[in-house]
Amino acid sequence: MPSIETNGLTKRFGDVVAVEDLDLTIEEGEIFGFLGPNGAGKSTTINMLLDFIRPTEGSAELFGMDAQRRPEAIRERIGVLPEGYGFDDYLTGREYMEWTIESRGADDDPDELLDMVGISDDADRKAKGYSKGMQQRLAFGMALVDDPDLLILDEPSTGLDPNGIQQMRSLVRDRADDGTTVFFSSHILSEVEAVCDRVGVMNEGRLTALDTIENLRENAGGHSSIELACATPPSVDGLGDIEGVATVSVDGARLTAQCTDPAAKVDVVRRVDDRADVVDILAENTSLEELFNEYTGGGRDGDGTAPLAGDSGGDSGSTSGGSDSQEASV
Amino acid sequence: MSSVSVVRKDFRGARRSRLLWAAAVVLGLIAALLAYVSGNAAGTSTETVQSLFQALTLIMSILLPVVALVASYLAIAGEREGGGIKFLLSLPNTRRDVFVGKLASRLAIVAAGIGFMYVAAISVALTRHGAFPAAVVFGTLLVTALYGATFVSVAVSMSAAAASKSRAIAGAFGSYFVLVILYVFPVIQIPSMVRWLHTTILGADPNPDLYNAVQYTSPYLAYRKATNLVLPTDMRQVIFGSSLPDDISYGSAAANTELPIYLQDEFSVAILAFWLVVPLLVGYWLFQRADLE
Repeated sequence: MPSIETNGLTKRFGDVVAVEDLDLTIEEGEIFGFLGPNGAGKSTTINMLLDFIRPTEGSAELFGMDAQRRPEAIRERIGVLPEGYGFDDYLTGREYMEWTIESRGADDDPDELLDMVGISDDADRKAKGYSKGMQQRLAFGMALVDDPDLLILDEPSTGLDPNGIQQMRSLVRDRADDGTTVFFSSHILSEVEAVCDRVGVMNEGRLTALDTIENLRENAGGHSSIELACATPPSVDGLGDIEGVATVSVDGARLTAQCTDPAAKVDVVRRVDDRADVVDILAENTSLEELFNEYTGGGRDGDGTAPLAGDSGGDSGSTSGGSDSQEASV
Repeated sequence: MSSVSVVRKDFRGARRSRLLWAAAVVLGLIAALLAYVSGNAAGTSTETVQSLFQALTLIMSILLPVVALVASYLAIAGEREGGGIKFLLSLPNTRRDVFVGKLASRLAIVAAGIGFMYVAAISVALTRHGAFPAAVVFGTLLVTALYGATFVSVAVSMSAAAASKSRAIAGAFGSYFVLVILYVFPVIQIPSMVRWLHTTILGADPNPDLYNAVQYTSPYLAYRKATNLVLPTDMRQVIFGSSLPDDISYGSAAANTELPIYLQDEFSVAILAFWLVVPLLVGYWLFQRADLE
């Protein structure tokens, strides 16, 4: 049975389509990354999974139970790091943790969890006064209580320092290794690449891609480029005939080859080294940022026409719009 | 788990709220002061203490709605705007648990405030006058608790329906104005407004019972009349005299029973029950359907 399954899930706020006809299946034990720029509909989707908001059409099931009809039974089995939470009460970090443990009827040790997320030194301060990063750590720790079957994390790295992101990643991986399904949203690509088995890319309420990172990269038709610095200006004769090489250019002693097949790079290096001494090699795969832009049409901060124009049938504008532009703005 | 989880967190937070403690202390001081200064009038000490508790209900009729509204108006709206509800509903709780839990905890908080006030009043009355008219004390306590509960119900319900704190504040202000202020200040009198509507706009013959009945829908007046049920007959207040025959004197026992049933003191219980239950149903209904973002 899949951990999460949505069928035609749709949410409209007035005229605005936040999520449109989303079909998504997350299998048990998977680490799934839910990518997209701000306002793409990621949080709206998560909020529908959690029954915080109600779908206009379609349905969402977790563990085969309808999100709206069985919220309590579902919440027994999930750990959530929600978006837009707040520590508003006059409670300390430890008390929040204790309350979570009590409410779940769990037998976790609050101090152990607080220590795990790195806030045991501040556990006796009011959580309200925590920095954003510390609140995020506490909220993440609360999501881990009672070892849930499914972790739903909405932008988990928000406010965390690199160290904190690292810790969180390894905690997520540990839990996943124990069989926990992880569903998390992010607009940070490196984070998704580092952790996820599979990703879904949302843009303007629609799922524009759903695959492993490797496959996405392949299907996106991204070029990998290789740049060779040589001792003397190299000749380019015949290089363009190598299978998988698209273009070759020379600027002084510097040769650049764009390859459609990453494996072709090695051939380029061999061939050039026969003719001129190669002193330095710079290779680059399609960066995730480029990939991301390709699937999201440059996103919110793109060329400015994309975000609001796609009111009706926004399916075409998303993939074609900014795919060729080089303005990587992320 | 259940609403217990909601109550537990709410209590823990409330226990540390300085505002709530300040409110409890002020209530206690008012009661103690009132109990202290009473007793200069003629009469037995029992009568003195009886009139003390009557005076207490008069003060409470104005003040308790404020206390109950302030203690409850953010119960759910605050969690919604502040994001605490995300945690409440990420745990194995339902929206019903949140609603019921919040209602229960705020009822308990307001009840504790009333209790605090009564303890203060009773202690001072006992030491100063040495009298304890149990029927009046517990009677008014019961009616006052019911009155407080109606405003908790109104405030929690509006809090559940409001998506933000500002709307909840507006709702609390508005309901205090509509349910209390309109009936207290003589400048804008509900009966005269209704009379004007009825006779001038609709062109009907005057019907005092109707105007009184409209006025009686307020929990404020319902409370004042409900205290008549637990106070000695000669301390009766607020009687709709308009439709009484001339030969019945204002303060007599017959003054109540001669009225149509919907204007009698007993009917106040139905009115308070209405204000206790109906807002809750509406608030719960809206909360169940809301998108919590």
